[in-house]
Amino acid sequence: MTSNTILLVEDDPSLRVLTARALQENGYVVRPAATGAEMWITFNSEHIDLIILDIMLPGTSGIELCRQIRQKSDVPIIFISAKGSETDRVIGLEIGADDYLPKPFGTRELMARVRAVLRRGGLDRHAESSRRSEASFDGWQVNFPRRELKSPAGAIVDLTGAEFDLLSSFVQNAQRVIARERLIELSRTRLGDSSDRSIDVLVSRLRRKLQTAGRDAPITTVRGVGYMLNAEVTRA
Amino acid sequence: MIHFVRPSLGVVGRILVILLLSVTVEFCTSTLLYERASQFSLREDEAHRLAEHLVITRKLIAERAPRERATMASLLTTDRYDVRWSASAPPPPPMAPKLREMREQILSWEPSLSHSDLWLRLKSPGLQSMVVGGMVLPDGSWVHFGTRDVANGWDLAIGRVMLALIPAIGLLVIGSLLVRSTLRPVRMLAQAAERYGYGDRVILPEIGNGEVIRVVRAFNAMQDRIQRLIADRTQALAAVGHDLRTPIARMRLRIDMIPDGAMRDGMQRDAIEMETMIASLLAFLGGDESDRPFARADVAVLAATMVDDAGDHGHPVSYEGPDHLDADVRPHDLKRALDNLVSNALRHARNVVLSVERRGAHLVLRVEDDGPGIPESRLDDARQPFVRLDAARERNTEGLGLGLAIVDRIAAAHGGELRLSNRREGGLRAEIEIPLVQAG
Repeated sequence: MTSNTILLVEDDPSLRVLTARALQENGYVVRPAATGAEMWITFNSEHIDLIILDIMLPGTSGIELCRQIRQKSDVPIIFISAKGSETDRVIGLEIGADDYLPKPFGTRELMARVRAVLRRGGLDRHAESSRRSEASFDGWQVNFPRRELKSPAGAIVDLTGAEFDLLSSFVQNAQRVIARERLIELSRTRLGDSSDRSIDVLVSRLRRKLQTAGRDAPITTVRGVGYMLNAEVTRA
Repeated sequence: MIHFVRPSLGVVGRILVILLLSVTVEFCTSTLLYERASQFSLREDEAHRLAEHLVITRKLIAERAPRERATMASLLTTDRYDVRWSASAPPPPPMAPKLREMREQILSWEPSLSHSDLWLRLKSPGLQSMVVGGMVLPDGSWVHFGTRDVANGWDLAIGRVMLALIPAIGLLVIGSLLVRSTLRPVRMLAQAAERYGYGDRVILPEIGNGEVIRVVRAFNAMQDRIQRLIADRTQALAAVGHDLRTPIARMRLRIDMIPDGAMRDGMQRDAIEMETMIASLLAFLGGDESDRPFARADVAVLAATMVDDAGDHGHPVSYEGPDHLDADVRPHDLKRALDNLVSNALRHARNVVLSVERRGAHLVLRVEDDGPGIPESRLDDARQPFVRLDAARERNTEGLGLGLAIVDRIAAAHGGELRLSNRREGGLRAEIEIPLVQAG
């Protein structure tokens, strides 16, 4: 298996070298670039598996570069930003970045994100079209880029990363039984956090949140097999 | 040092006093002048009337036979003048200069009286002064007379004074109303200055005149300058915060290359602590997220998620409240506020309860712990930025002491407040009360 090639766009020289070194030590091929122009040269000349992009770049900003890349390619993108603001995260994810990593980050964090995004890229890139849009069921609305769930009353319902990933799996496989093992496998490829709580706890929490006055959540347990989202999903 | 506040009249009071003083002085002088003038003409009037009466009296009494003269005299006695006749004459007493003047006036009005040896005298029975006098008839008998109505003098004067007082009082009332309205912009200025600093800028309308407009303009300009100054400082601090993140990122990557495990972990912890400090500083300064709009969010779920998360990390936090409760909030900020309260409680206590409650049109988020609490005298300090109550609570070097200050700001931005109190059972209670619905 050939190692993945990562295009790293970062204007701070030392940070670029250090990040590149950390990635190389973990077995990736790294193509560093300091500006948007340098990035395009590499991008157009070879195959790239993942782009790590700093938002604050001299000249063309990372946001603008991301928009331009998305017009040409579906290559996974991870944003890096020193701002760490919620707005930046949302904008980044909305214009098509796959993940967002706030500065400063450690090697372990960086590797976890890179691995997860690369694995996801191979695993469910086919669900790309759904990943970037919205879906609704029973009045609930799911916004995938924002990773946001809204109740039938229009209120934002807070979900953890793992819960949202679980909900995504349900929505993408609506009215089909998903085996517990499959759900565990899916949730492992996502980010969420490192604590390994069981999938059953996650499901019960999601159920509690999807429950409205006098109505149970539309998630049914299929004894001995797994779970199923028992609602019709419309995509917007 | 204690400042005793002297009771102050205020500008309106002072102006009123000035007005009162000038009106009084004006009133007294004019009354005095007017009274003197009118008294003078009154006296002349009096002299004329007396002269006429005396001429008639003299003529009528002289025409009668001596035995009818007494009756005639009593007939001639009127409301104003008392007339009596006597055959013999008392010696004429010396006359006061004032009365001599009156005598001149009488004689010049009725020259026929000049041969009557007219004399006048001022008599003061009790408090009232009256003029008495006598004149000789052609046959040598005497007619005595006296004025009766001098008493009216004072009454009249008081009436006139009261009459003159009415416009003066009216002037005072109108004046005070005018002064009040003139000073209205100043009052608005005072109110604006009191409000300033607790929230938004208060731009005052430039009304009033002259100096007041200048003060209002200066105040508005000052607000702008202060705002700009704060914005500049905030921006500078935020920029430093952001810029520090790149070197810390470099440092963390470098630290990861250190082979010595214990050393590496220690340094990594330090770097993470620096990072946390920057994050809390940026959060306190409003960082990049202050202008995010309000959104309807399920606050009960938000709180429950936080409790689940704490539980997953082995922290003893429990949730009390409804399954769902929607409110207009800035979800990310509110989450940060709750997180600060919960982690603060967890640092000092064994058990923490996070509860959500609806109270009328408000939402109450409450974090209670069973820790040592905060001494009553320091409850207010706890909310101040960069204040750490280490002496009172367990030593805690983490962070910049911004935790509760950030919560306070977030609550204020939601139109509510953070309340801290000690529970009777022991431990601290932190409450955020905010409106369920944001106006506008």
